[in-house]
Amino acid sequence: MVTAAPYEPKKKQIVDHLAPTAVDKTFNSKATAGEEGMISVRDMDFNYGAKRALHHIQMEIPSKQVTAFIGPSGCGKSTLLRCFNRINDRIQGAHIASGQVIIKGKNIYDKDVDTTSLRRQVGMVFQKYNPFPKSIYENVVYGLRISGVKKKADLNDACEYALKSAALWDECKDRLKQNAFGLSGGQMQRLCIARAIAVKPDILLMDEPCSALDPIATLKVEELILQLKEQFTVVIVTHNMQQARRVADLTAFMYLGELIEFADTLTIFSNPQQLKTEEYIRGQFS
Amino acid sequence: MNDNPNGISEDMQALLKKPGLLGVRVDRQSLIKHFFNGCAGITIITLFLIMWSLLRESTGFLPTYRWELSVYRQAGLEYADFIEKPLSEHLALHSKLNRAFNAELNTISRESKLRRDAAFLIKQQIEEKTVLQREPLQEALDAGNTPPEKITALRKTLTEATAAALGSEPLPKLFNESEKKSLTADLLGLQPDVTDMPPFIKSLMDKFIEQDKAGKEKYAAFISALDAFEEASEPITELHDGMKEQVLEVKKAATQQHMAEDAKFKLLEAARAAKTAEKREGFEKDAAQTDINPIDYKTNIDSLITKLPEYESLIPAYKDAVSKAMEGIPQKADTHEARELIDQVRKSFPKHLAHVDESVDHMKAWQWDKPIPLFRALTAFLFGGDWITNSSWQDFYGVIPLFTGSLLIAITALLIALPFSVAAAIYTNQFASPREQEIIKPFIEFIQAIPSVVLGFIGISVLGDLIKETSNIPWLQWIPGFPVQERLNMFNAGLLLALMAIPTMFSLAEDALQNVPRAFSEASEALGATKLQTVFRVIFPASISGVFAAMLLGLGRIIGETMVVLLVAGNRIAIPDFSDGIGAVFQPAHTLTGIIAQELGEVSRGSAHWQALFMVGILLFFISLLINFLSRKVVKRFQLPKI
Ligand SMILES: Nc1ncnc2c1ncn2[C@@H]1O[C@H](COP(=O)(O)OP(=O)(O)O)[C@@H](O)[C@H]1O
Ligand SMILES: [Mg+2]
Repeated sequence: MVTAAPYEPKKKQIVDHLAPTAVDKTFNSKATAGEEGMISVRDMDFNYGAKRALHHIQMEIPSKQVTAFIGPSGCGKSTLLRCFNRINDRIQGAHIASGQVIIKGKNIYDKDVDTTSLRRQVGMVFQKYNPFPKSIYENVVYGLRISGVKKKADLNDACEYALKSAALWDECKDRLKQNAFGLSGGQMQRLCIARAIAVKPDILLMDEPCSALDPIATLKVEELILQLKEQFTVVIVTHNMQQARRVADLTAFMYLGELIEFADTLTIFSNPQQLKTEEYIRGQFS
Repeated sequence: MNDNPNGISEDMQALLKKPGLLGVRVDRQSLIKHFFNGCAGITIITLFLIMWSLLRESTGFLPTYRWELSVYRQAGLEYADFIEKPLSEHLALHSKLNRAFNAELNTISRESKLRRDAAFLIKQQIEEKTVLQREPLQEALDAGNTPPEKITALRKTLTEATAAALGSEPLPKLFNESEKKSLTADLLGLQPDVTDMPPFIKSLMDKFIEQDKAGKEKYAAFISALDAFEEASEPITELHDGMKEQVLEVKKAATQQHMAEDAKFKLLEAARAAKTAEKREGFEKDAAQTDINPIDYKTNIDSLITKLPEYESLIPAYKDAVSKAMEGIPQKADTHEARELIDQVRKSFPKHLAHVDESVDHMKAWQWDKPIPLFRALTAFLFGGDWITNSSWQDFYGVIPLFTGSLLIAITALLIALPFSVAAAIYTNQFASPREQEIIKPFIEFIQAIPSVVLGFIGISVLGDLIKETSNIPWLQWIPGFPVQERLNMFNAGLLLALMAIPTMFSLAEDALQNVPRAFSEASEALGATKLQTVFRVIFPASISGVFAAMLLGLGRIIGETMVVLLVAGNRIAIPDFSDGIGAVFQPAHTLTGIIAQELGEVSRGSAHWQALFMVGILLFFISLLINFLSRKVVKRFQLPKI
């Protein structure tokens, strides 16, 4: 059970001056656009330098659901995920070649988008847990500190809320001041989740969050993901088809930089429409 | 099966290690291993050899120094030095007052002095330029029988040459237009047979004399106070001089006797080692001839102690005289400099009087025959405040002045180098474009290629003047230590050492930043941190152990550096005067490394001085060890735990 504290951070629009009327214009009528946490990708191509990594990606990710990306290694799952918070911008030469990624009615690749406030609304958890070499408490409140929250009470509330949401509160509440590196691997990954949700993003991106964890820790994180979808739109990359079955509402199958098939998880696994998808889930290649 | 001694099957035999040569395995793998092992061993052995040779050269320092200190005591030099201390304080106070007086006097006569000197200078320059025309005229005049028309012609050429020289020589700006005209007229009228000063220059001279007189009149009270202050110590100085003469005689005798003992000892040694009986007898005979008369310290001391009542009786008069003189020192000086100096003197004056009284107590408590234990020689070396060598009075080998010099320079250098190198490392590693990196890194590393002697040149020729001129800028006077007296000082050396340490510290700090896992910065940016926030909240803190290591290794480089400090630090062996706070760094100093480089070549091998320099070497060695040890500790302490 998640018992959220009454803490409610101020939400910043991606572009503050964006008026609701302006938002309406960008909305696509056929999509369920306008709903919070909704990501729509419109015919997007993505390049690493001259090399094209994603081709014509077109998808609508609904809010408050878990969407899984599956596909063989190197097919572009991570690349697509990392487009959603523009963390790919860190890589020299990586750029979107054409198309749009629209989050909350705004193309996040527009020139006037401030990536720092975008990333406060689109949190991310990485493959290898990467807490900062600081105390547990400082790890959790990092996002708030950098956005200028100074009041001790606010920070404490946020810390408690995030740790409870990440099902880590009972394990950590007596050792908040200890270095995060003293935790176990699974705990560290859940700490990273807590760190990401402390700023109350709308969307939570997870790139193979369990690949470095043992089975029991994996199970815990999966349970957590199912709880988190009540509050967040979760997009998860996984290499493990069982995991996609267990946690995802929708599943996207990608192959060689293309989105082959995207439907609800049951359909993908029981009745795939594409031959490639079928071959993949039957385990004929990986 | 039974014929197999080990009870192992044929197949398994191949798995057994082959026997080696003399128990050392000789296959390629182990040879390589032994090679590396050997290299490590040689390094360690070398280290021990260095330590051993340092120790060998400096052994004997402690007994030698103890002997010197005990002669210092027994001959009574120590006793006389009790009086020396207040006397030298008196001298220092007087010189400060004198400086204050000159600053005051300058306010009145400075302008006219400058004008006079400027006029003299231009006159001299003109005379030098016209020397070719002047000499023939002088000769003609000296000859006496030269026809007048020829003299007139010569005079004319001289005047023309002067006019030409004047044309190329701009007159100083100190003079206004009409004054410049009179000066020109003066200079044009210069002839070798006119001995009187030309009228305008004469008027400048008179003006200065007049103003100087006026100044001296105005400060007449100050002058007489100064004189009274100076004279107050005369009776005591006289008494002290008498004592010094007496004790030096005894010391000389003691040294001679010591040398004789030494010679005798060596002769006996030689006799013991002699091959033939004949030779041995010769040595023994020589040894017997060296006569050694024990020194009668006691009589000397007895007569020395009788001087104490005399000294005591002189004290009240002295204190009276200096106190009176202090009253005569103006309460309100006109210049800032004089005010500062007088304030300093006023502040330390009561202490000085107390020291005078204390000196008597010390003399009363003094025991001439109190033995000096060996560790006293060590503490006198480690904590002694004087490094005095080749003295006609007494040599002291106390490293504190050198140590403070080294330390202050090192701290200055570190405080300058650390922010620069860390900031440069952060910029290069985190913000610079690859192109900028390609430019910055080689440039900073290039500094290392500059020989330290060349840096010393820069310190002497450029930096020294720069510091001195900057320190004279009026609106910078709030900086402690300004205006700077000496061009060569600890700050100057610190600045150059900082430059030398920056490449090391920069490279190491940059490596430390480079080694921070990318995952940290990625996580930070994914949380919406800006680049700057990421650098200062995550990357820099994560690299702190490496930055510390960089700092300590830079410190090692700074402490060990010799050439720059020898050239630039000013080489004055004295504990810096901290009355100015951190302004003390603008004073010259000598250093542990500099003193070895400077003095080792000039001392005779094996003398106390030689041994003392090796002791300084050992001290340096231990300081370096300590720094290394600390840097290991610090790196361990701040290292990131592995995940
Ligand atoms: N930083 C990068 N620079 C260049 N190419 C990259 C980079 N990261 C990934 N790629 C390429 O993009 C493709 C997709 O990679 P990725 O999204 O990591 O695949 P996945 O996560 O599905 O295994 C791969 O062919 C990979 O080689
Ligand atoms: Mg991946």
